[in-house]
Amino acid sequence: MKWNTILCIAGLALMMVQCEDGPEEKSWTLVWQDEFDGAEGESPDPTKWGFDIGTDWGNQQLEFDTDRPENASLDGEGNLRIVARRESFGGRAFTSARMTTQGKFGQTYGRFEARMQMPLGQGLWPAFWLLGENIDEVSWPQCGEIDIMEYRGQEPQIVHGSLHGPGNFAGQALTQSFTLQNDRFDVGFHLFAVEWDENGISYFVDDRLYYQIKPEDTGEWVFNAPFFIIVNVAVGGNYVGPPNESTAFPQTMLVDYVRVYREE
Amino acid sequence: MKNTFIHKCSLFCLALVLCLSACQRDIEGLEPATFPSIAEVFIDGFSPGLEYAAFGGSVVTGFNVDEDVTYTGTASMRFEVPDVGDPAGAYVGGAYFVEGGRDLSGFDVLTFWARATRNANLDVVGFGNDLGELKHVATINNVPVNTNWQKYYIPIPDPAVLTQEKGMFYYSEGPENGEGYTFWIDEVKFEKSGTVVQKESGIVDGLNDARSAETGDVINVPGLYSLFNLPTGRDLRVGLAPGYFEFSSSDASIATITENNAIAVIDSGSTTITATLAGEASKGSLTINSTGAPLLPLSAAPSPTRSADSVLSLYSNVYQDEQVDTWNTRWLYSTAEESFIQIAGDDVIRYKNLNFVGIEWPSATKDISSMTHFHMDVWTPDPTSAAAFRVLLIDFGADNSFDGGDDTQHEMTFNAPTLQTGEWFSIDVPLSSFSGLTGRRNLAQLVLSGDLPNVLIDNVYFYRTGSTSGNDSPEMAAPSPTRDPGSVISIFSDAYSNVPGTNFNPDWGQATQVSELSVAGNNTLLYAGLNYQGTELASPIDVSAMTHFHIDVWTANSSALNTFLISNDPTMEKGVAVNVPTAGWLQLDIPLSDFTPVELNKIFQLKFDGAGDIYLDNIYFYNEGSGGDEPTIGAPDPTRDEGSVISIFSDSYTDVAGTNFNPDWGQATQTSIIDVAGNNTLLYAGLNYQGTELASQIDVTSMTHLHFDVWSRNSDNLMAFLISADPTTETFQSINMPTTGWLQVDIALTEFSPVELNKIFQFKFEGNGDVYLDNIYFYAEGVGGDEPTTGAPAPTRDAAKVISIFSDAYDDVAGTNFNPDWGQSTQTSIIDVVGNSTLLYDGLNYQGTELAGQIDVTSMTHLHIDVWTNNSNLLEAFIISENPTTEIGIPLNVPTTGWLQVDIPLSDFTPVELNKIFQFKFEGNGDIYLDNLYFYQE
Repeated sequence: MKWNTILCIAGLALMMVQCEDGPEEKSWTLVWQDEFDGAEGESPDPTKWGFDIGTDWGNQQLEFDTDRPENASLDGEGNLRIVARRESFGGRAFTSARMTTQGKFGQTYGRFEARMQMPLGQGLWPAFWLLGENIDEVSWPQCGEIDIMEYRGQEPQIVHGSLHGPGNFAGQALTQSFTLQNDRFDVGFHLFAVEWDENGISYFVDDRLYYQIKPEDTGEWVFNAPFFIIVNVAVGGNYVGPPNESTAFPQTMLVDYVRVYREE
Repeated sequence: MKNTFIHKCSLFCLALVLCLSACQRDIEGLEPATFPSIAEVFIDGFSPGLEYAAFGGSVVTGFNVDEDVTYTGTASMRFEVPDVGDPAGAYVGGAYFVEGGRDLSGFDVLTFWARATRNANLDVVGFGNDLGELKHVATINNVPVNTNWQKYYIPIPDPAVLTQEKGMFYYSEGPENGEGYTFWIDEVKFEKSGTVVQKESGIVDGLNDARSAETGDVINVPGLYSLFNLPTGRDLRVGLAPGYFEFSSSDASIATITENNAIAVIDSGSTTITATLAGEASKGSLTINSTGAPLLPLSAAPSPTRSADSVLSLYSNVYQDEQVDTWNTRWLYSTAEESFIQIAGDDVIRYKNLNFVGIEWPSATKDISSMTHFHMDVWTPDPTSAAAFRVLLIDFGADNSFDGGDDTQHEMTFNAPTLQTGEWFSIDVPLSSFSGLTGRRNLAQLVLSGDLPNVLIDNVYFYRTGSTSGNDSPEMAAPSPTRDPGSVISIFSDAYSNVPGTNFNPDWGQATQVSELSVAGNNTLLYAGLNYQGTELASPIDVSAMTHFHIDVWTANSSALNTFLISNDPTMEKGVAVNVPTAGWLQLDIPLSDFTPVELNKIFQLKFDGAGDIYLDNIYFYNEGSGGDEPTIGAPDPTRDEGSVISIFSDSYTDVAGTNFNPDWGQATQTSIIDVAGNNTLLYAGLNYQGTELASQIDVTSMTHLHFDVWSRNSDNLMAFLISADPTTETFQSINMPTTGWLQVDIALTEFSPVELNKIFQFKFEGNGDVYLDNIYFYAEGVGGDEPTTGAPAPTRDAAKVISIFSDAYDDVAGTNFNPDWGQSTQTSIIDVVGNSTLLYDGLNYQGTELAGQIDVTSMTHLHIDVWTNNSNLLEAFIISENPTTEIGIPLNVPTTGWLQVDIPLSDFTPVELNKIFQFKFEGNGDIYLDNLYFYQE
């Protein structure tokens, strides 16, 4: 009887979660997507994605990002794989990839989502994020940055959602974390999303809302112009610290899809 | 709201039950047994069915349930680690288990909380220890704990296999830096966490390794682990038992996987062992290069026969071995692997891949200064015709420790024909050959090296020659036969012409090792390790004219012995039992009628069966002629030093005076003193009992034994009594009767307790038959006066095969100077000892002897010396060759008990040149009596 009761409670909890965190009553129209369908080893669709090639990017990360298939390609099973490798390249000890839709796709407001499985190990720093398209004109942080998902390899149950803008960068960033119970982000896929409109930005993991930011919570609200998408895996850097001897390479982040919706 | 909740819950449960019922319908046949999947191990007490057992050697009271210190709830487990040296135990450790087992397949980790009174590392924590098969043990090691409660994880490598696990939790922890402390563990439970991820599993620590092996080896794959990433982001290595893995062998004709997941090597060749865990490939591999079935001898090395008290043994089944710290020091660059195996029931040491191997005993160095030889039996399957094998001995010198500037060593190299392939061979060399090994009191190391990668060794010992005192071999030769050669047909004897062509070691499949050896100058047949042994005559002989079969037998360790005569056509055999073990030489005279129905005109074989090591001599048939049931030879002459003897009746000693050998105690016995071959002998004819009265009480407390010689053909009962006075106290010892020949009886005086040894005044014999007695005396073993009271035993060797330097028995080489002035302080003289000329070195430091010229003794095999001393503890005998002067000394075993007959193989004196001997020398101390210094040809 005792066990049945516990099972019942568990079942009830599941039902309640579904009720509370189900998709909101909004009507979304899919406007952009990459399902990463294609042959194994193929590079991602160049009409949708470009590559930031180089290193550091201002965060002391340790990898050299390339556009090689060794670092970013389709896995033939409907996923993009970004592979961080331990290899000497471009003066760095690691390689990885940083893919962006800059100059190919951007949008103001809407729902941005990606279904992803994280790599495993200390010092790995995957992210799914948005940057203001005017970054080349006004530079960072004036352009604005929406971090839909950031992850530290040594914290396998936690992801972070953050917002950077004028007055809200470095230690002043607006940020919130989400902790997965009885599961980890590196053993299966999870859906990371933001829903963004003129009233604010809401952060979701697996359609569970865990963070909301409104314009009045910040200084200057710069999040009213088109933003483009970045998906990358950094190695090391000031956010995560370096990998250690326990970190196994290569490490792969899988992306099942990236989709962008517009609210009707 | 609450009502609604319960209502929903009931529906949900019902749905669940329905679902389960539906599933059950689909299962055909019998369900597999299932076990409870209880998660809790210890929360606030033992979970259902949980039991605890402390490990052996641990402090069994170290574990307690603690209700004061807990992580949460009402109780925790408290462990009190002892200090080093705690008599209660060296550590705490134990296992928590459930008898029937639990189904843990739904969990992925064992978790618990722990804290301690100090920072420490728990040696071992894990689960799967069921105190039985240990099939699914999973362990984490060196688990850091501190004074705060922390959560710990032991992930389950493959939960699917744990459907009936009994081992719920176990631990073992010893003192930290010698200090005891206390730690607590709480909330031990299995969880389905979803937060531990297996990064990899591996064998051989994840490496690709190779090893050699042989057919028959069973190998446990080492380095089994699974590497997990914890929810803390940290990696954790879990050590695993083989039961979690599925092993495979790339070539199953070379090695297969056993039921217990070990590797069984079954043929020569190479195979690579890999593994999977839960269907995933494990890292690492083990390549096994099998050389096939090992080449090993079929028979054991010959059993050593040297007396234990003249041996210092390092390895043998025969002797008490001295301590050896290791038979493989694994010095750098040594590739040798040792194993301890048995060949035909005999323990031997096997080396493989031997380039060199260190063997050492620095914790108990050996004094081999009194030893003369090094012995080792060796077997190798490797080619030996062009091979070398080296033996290095190292002495640590006076400081008794390695180096220090005083270590000495010497290496000897051996080649064919000493080295032999596929046969046991002996390395048996005088220690004098290890001339660089000048220190011999702190021998610490033995190093073997050379060109033989596969070597078996056995019977590694040092020994000294010249010492035959002891219990395992006869000290004296068998008594010389005195029968007229005309009434004798001899098979084996120095005293008679033997029938020619006898094969003393025909191959009848026996295990017995037959050898001929010299015992005090007498050829003697030794059957070592007798099971049975035949002797084949060249042709059948007719002994029907003879009346008796005679053999002399000596054995200290035989429990059974039968002697057989075998006649030909048809083959007919009959055995007669011999009383063994013997006390000294047993002279057997067996009437040939005892061998009926063997046909005496067609004797063609002899046989012995039984056990032990048997010395035989004087095997002959004889015709007794007239005389009947009385001895035809006198009792053997005693050889004990008179200074250690109190004699009652003997021609050899001065008897105590006034003894009445026939007091009237009402006996029926007819007592007389008769002459037997010139020896006065006491005859008790028709014995019922017979007393002997001493003139007065004697004190024999300084003596150790009573000796007498007894002979009787018709007595089957004899008891010897010793009697003390005030109050009259008597005790008896039974004697095995009848005797076959003279039986020499030596009874420890302690056997006669409570007779008072300071008040002996009577003897008594009870029994039956006609009994002949002689040489009744007390003696003290191992004690003597300061000078010999008997002459050295007269040599019996054929003069034609002797070159004598000093002896009454032979013509000595002429012109020898027995006292040249070499500056010695020794006082040298030639004295008379009971009619025997004897050389006395009084206060020896050293003493030379100069021959008139060089002599050539290359045709000789041994040097013989008789030595008597009771105050010397150092004596070395040298022979010296001329041009260039070369000398080698051999230590003699002193002091002696009585005359010590020393026979030294001349090869021991290598490199002295035997064709140019011109001097002798003795070095040592004390007063030394010498006689019968001669060379002889064996």
